[in-house]
Amino acid sequence: MTDTVTQPPSTPSTPTTPTAPASQRALSALGLLAVVASALVGGNVAGSRERLFGSETPEARPPAASRVVEGPTETTAAPQKQSLVRSQPWWQGLTVLEGVGSTTTAPFTVADDAVQWRVKWSCETGRLLVTAPGQRRPVVEAPCPGADTGYGVRRGPVSLEVTADGPWRLEVEQQVDVPLNEPPLPVMSAPGTNKILTGPLYRMDQVGTGTLDIYRLPDGGHALRLEDFFVTANVDLELRLSPLEAPQTTKEFMSAPSVWVAPLDVTAGSLNFMVPPDVDPTKYGSIVVWCPIIDSAYAAVTLRPA
Amino acid sequence: MTAPAPATVVAPAPSRPHLRIRGEEIPVVLPSRRDPRLKLSTVIITLHVLGQTLLDFKVSIAQILITMAVCGLIEGVLTFRSTRMLVWPASGILTGSSIAFILRASGTVHGDWWSLNGIEFFMLAAVVSLLSKHLIRPTGRHLFNPSNVGIVWCLLVVGPNQVFAQYLWWGPSVVGQVLAYAVILMGAVWILRAVRMVPMALAFLGTFAVLTGLFALGGREFLAIWHDGPVGGMEYWVNLAFSPEVLVFVFFMISDPQTAPKAPEGRVIYGAAVAALAALLILPQQTEFGIKVAILASLTVVCAVVPLIETALRRRSMRADRRSMRADRPVRVFAMARRPAVAAALIIAVAAPIDTVALSDNKQVILIEQGQVGKANAQ
Repeated sequence: MTDTVTQPPSTPSTPTTPTAPASQRALSALGLLAVVASALVGGNVAGSRERLFGSETPEARPPAASRVVEGPTETTAAPQKQSLVRSQPWWQGLTVLEGVGSTTTAPFTVADDAVQWRVKWSCETGRLLVTAPGQRRPVVEAPCPGADTGYGVRRGPVSLEVTADGPWRLEVEQQVDVPLNEPPLPVMSAPGTNKILTGPLYRMDQVGTGTLDIYRLPDGGHALRLEDFFVTANVDLELRLSPLEAPQTTKEFMSAPSVWVAPLDVTAGSLNFMVPPDVDPTKYGSIVVWCPIIDSAYAAVTLRPA
Repeated sequence: MTAPAPATVVAPAPSRPHLRIRGEEIPVVLPSRRDPRLKLSTVIITLHVLGQTLLDFKVSIAQILITMAVCGLIEGVLTFRSTRMLVWPASGILTGSSIAFILRASGTVHGDWWSLNGIEFFMLAAVVSLLSKHLIRPTGRHLFNPSNVGIVWCLLVVGPNQVFAQYLWWGPSVVGQVLAYAVILMGAVWILRAVRMVPMALAFLGTFAVLTGLFALGGREFLAIWHDGPVGGMEYWVNLAFSPEVLVFVFFMISDPQTAPKAPEGRVIYGAAVAALAALLILPQQTEFGIKVAILASLTVVCAVVPLIETALRRRSMRADRRSMRADRPVRVFAMARRPAVAAALIIAVAAPIDTVALSDNKQVILIEQGQVGKANAQ
């Protein structure tokens, strides 16, 4: 700013000459070096700025293509454009293992970028002990009959050691935070299906981007698709239909009764949902991304005829 | 061990106070009511108050005070070293106030009055500002506007992950915005007339309004964290040409008589040049962060060429022999470039626009402005 309008008489600077003292020349050289270094870091040359001061942008990763891993080792089913955007961590199915008595299971592969993995287990008689290599605490150690969840963190190929007295079942899932880019459901392009409602997301309390489409299916039901979707991450988000056309605030949204449509466990990507059969979306004006934990309307879509 | 003699203010013999420290008489220069910097301080502090009360500025009182204190301390020490006088560091304090007015640390929440979040970046900007003022003096006076070069350094070197500049839009409070515009415009009249910078400001505003208007007509848009979707069309133009942030920049930053040309004609050229360069650097930017750096960096670059503007005007007015001047030029430029202060100024003047243009396709900045990454809505 105009922070030097007047100042006390300053001494004129002394130009550095070949006769300047060595210490002054050394300081000048150091100063110039600092200026050059600043110029290079300021241009983020070779990622220097992000190395020094960190980056909010995570490493680019391919998004997932399905809620269940379809290949032996991949997070994605098909190569996709890499994404810098992250979702709220969500659970992606890896495999289902079943057996009777003690055994070593077939290996499954936890992705290198997975946050953790879990086993939803159930057993019928005796005891169930499940251990993972390299993990001191057992994944499962419980009397049967029973059902619960155990967790692991080791990535890469994993074979579980199961010690059991009877039948058991293990559903293995990995937690990832990459976007989920599901292809449209086949029924969305089936004969007799019509796209009936559409609209772009807009912000309310948080950031929301992308578009939403609602299809009327041949059987009279409805399916919903979010395309290029992003909403600020949080747990337990859900989609709700509201009679209001364009709610702008949480208070306004809460002033009218709304209807639950689907849980929103993934907060980035392109996603499909089935609308509950007893809900007719055409009777509503908008869909809101709702966070019941903190009673906050994150984002919304005004539903317009497609 | 002898205890240091207590510092005592000796009764003024004529009118100037002074201190006696260890037997040395040290003159003390206290603030004067006639000091024009007080006017500017009044305007900036009023805007700070509006920012803290009505405009939701994401800067804490602690950040403001510490930045002012650091700048004042450095200025006081450096001035004492060179003049052996204890001078009230009005310039330094104003530099600190200006830095805290524009610079923001990501993650600072409005209303967290005593937050020290990112205070190191404010202090870094303060140090760079004051060092540039006292070390880069190729013509005997400082070349760069201190707070400008400190803020540009911080925005470019520390980067969008940690810092950003005050938004172009100061809403949503309508009352706050009306009051802010009133303070800015009245402050402009009060200050610019005194320092004879009205033509410069008009040259900037006219040039900038025309060029950004053309960009808006050409379909340019930018992403901003405070806006749902890209800002384009009329909104693009209004948010650039009439942003209170831009007005503060024009009226209270580029109008520094110490770093602007002295001649009236030179000041008009200077104002138009800053606007033209700002527009040129804005053109490729996709984000508000990039645009704000572009605007600020334009002043950094033009300040570096102010001596050239002044020399060109002086030569023209003197109607000197052009051939002899041409013969002199290569030798003098070469000799000048060997001086560290000139070399530093050259590097800054070249690097600032290059680094600013490099922001235009920085994916991190784009995602931050879209609200898709960042420290819980960082900006």
